[in-house]
Amino acid sequence: MNNSKKKTLIYRIAAFLVIMAIAAVMFVIGRGHTVYFDNKSSDLVAEVPYKIEVKVDGKKVASLKKNERGMVDVMGQKLTMELVVTEEKGGDTVQMKVTQPLPYNMDGIILNIPAMLKGASQDQYVSEFISVPSESDAAEEVVVTDDTAGLMDFGEESEASQG
Amino acid sequence: MNKINYGDLLRRFSVPLMFVIICAVCAPISGLSPSYLCNEIVTRMGRNAFLILSLLIPIMAGMGLNFSMTLGAMAGEIGLILVSDWQIVGIPGMILAMIVSVPISALLGLFCGKVLNMAKGREMITSYIISFFINGIYQLIVLYLMGPVIPIQHSNIKLPRGYGIRNTVSLLSMRQKLDNLIPLNIGGVKIPVATFIIIFLLCLVIIWFRKTKLGQDMRAVGQDMGVARDSGIDVERTRIISMVLSTVFAGIGMIIYLQNMGNIATYSSHSQIGMFCIAALLVGGASVEKASIGNVFLGIILFHTMFIVAPKAGTVITGDSMIGEYFRVFVSYAVITVALIMYETNKRKNKSKAGEQLALAQEEANE
Repeated sequence: MNNSKKKTLIYRIAAFLVIMAIAAVMFVIGRGHTVYFDNKSSDLVAEVPYKIEVKVDGKKVASLKKNERGMVDVMGQKLTMELVVTEEKGGDTVQMKVTQPLPYNMDGIILNIPAMLKGASQDQYVSEFISVPSESDAAEEVVVTDDTAGLMDFGEESEASQG
Repeated sequence: MNKINYGDLLRRFSVPLMFVIICAVCAPISGLSPSYLCNEIVTRMGRNAFLILSLLIPIMAGMGLNFSMTLGAMAGEIGLILVSDWQIVGIPGMILAMIVSVPISALLGLFCGKVLNMAKGREMITSYIISFFINGIYQLIVLYLMGPVIPIQHSNIKLPRGYGIRNTVSLLSMRQKLDNLIPLNIGGVKIPVATFIIIFLLCLVIIWFRKTKLGQDMRAVGQDMGVARDSGIDVERTRIISMVLSTVFAGIGMIIYLQNMGNIATYSSHSQIGMFCIAALLVGGASVEKASIGNVFLGIILFHTMFIVAPKAGTVITGDSMIGEYFRVFVSYAVITVALIMYETNKRKNKSKAGEQLALAQEEANE
């Protein structure tokens, strides 16, 4: 192999590796999750705050009273959120910033915020949301692959259906 | 001083002129506000320009209108389907879909280029039929292999029977992410700045490419294959490269197009895209042999203005919006037909002119 061919091969391999590296980065930074926030009691927490407000990127995404759930679609492996917690009606609010790592393998993630605030381990307040297909999703779908379907019917099919 | 031949000029710009007249007549009748029209045209320009620009390279190489750009569109769709299933969203999802689509597009372009080398002089009809052939393979992959062979996990993408992809795949997580990356609003008209930057970069690449050795080779091949071969250019390789580039750009263009739309019509998104892109390019004043970046943008403005105003004008004039729908569809096909007829007529005219000149030269030599 002469020098110029060797050089070309090296450039090609380098370009391939760079593209693979970009793809790997995209896999990590672009992973989408739907995060569900629960303000619900659990084995760890019997009493939950009166209201929790969740802000992501400065935007309010959920305002949860007792036993309520909110959600937000996020991208990446970490969720930084601002929580505004009101323990009792008319009481003082406490504001805090929380960064939560998100498991890569989960599409839907349920965060039990009262348990998280109580300092429970991640396994105890993070669980997977398993979506159940809706009736319309589960219904059989007719696939139309040919836009001209029906145009090639010169009467044979209608005759067959009549007779 | 050269005298301007108005007849030739009129013939050359007859199609854009006709569309200017149609748009000028239909726009006021449609009753659409100028800001709405501008918004729609700017959106459609961002959506379609990259796809139409992908047609320029094969024209440069003398391969005519690349009807097989749908191959790239299919590759782009496969990339988006996979990325949607992997739940990669936003701009990273688009980039990953492009990375997935590029090797598929390149392989399809290579195949198409090789086939077209076997059918020199009949490139357009061959590429048109190749697109049907590959569409069959695409359907086989998407309808039967996605699920059992190519893992697809999510039930909102997979058909309820357990394999195959649904008629529509939602791209809500990517919808207009590129268009809205750099938000700009001028007088109520939303400008997709990031998309325009990418289109501008492709324009620069095309301009630069024309000046490179490969670009010059392509132009030489496009002008005369025999002469190009005699001067040492590998004609077949050059033609294959032009097809690969066009197909890869079409794949990327399709991803940009679909991120703007926000969903994929799995079995039909690609089928009409080639036809409409080619029609738009021809409306911009391009021909089978010659097309420029200017033709792309003029074509998008005129063709899509007609697309927007025709149904409304049809409704106002006849009371039936379908008349306008029919009108815009038949005009698209008519433009392509007219361009092909003009191409053949010019070719014959040039041939007979060359024959006459040769005969004259021979006569002079005999005398």
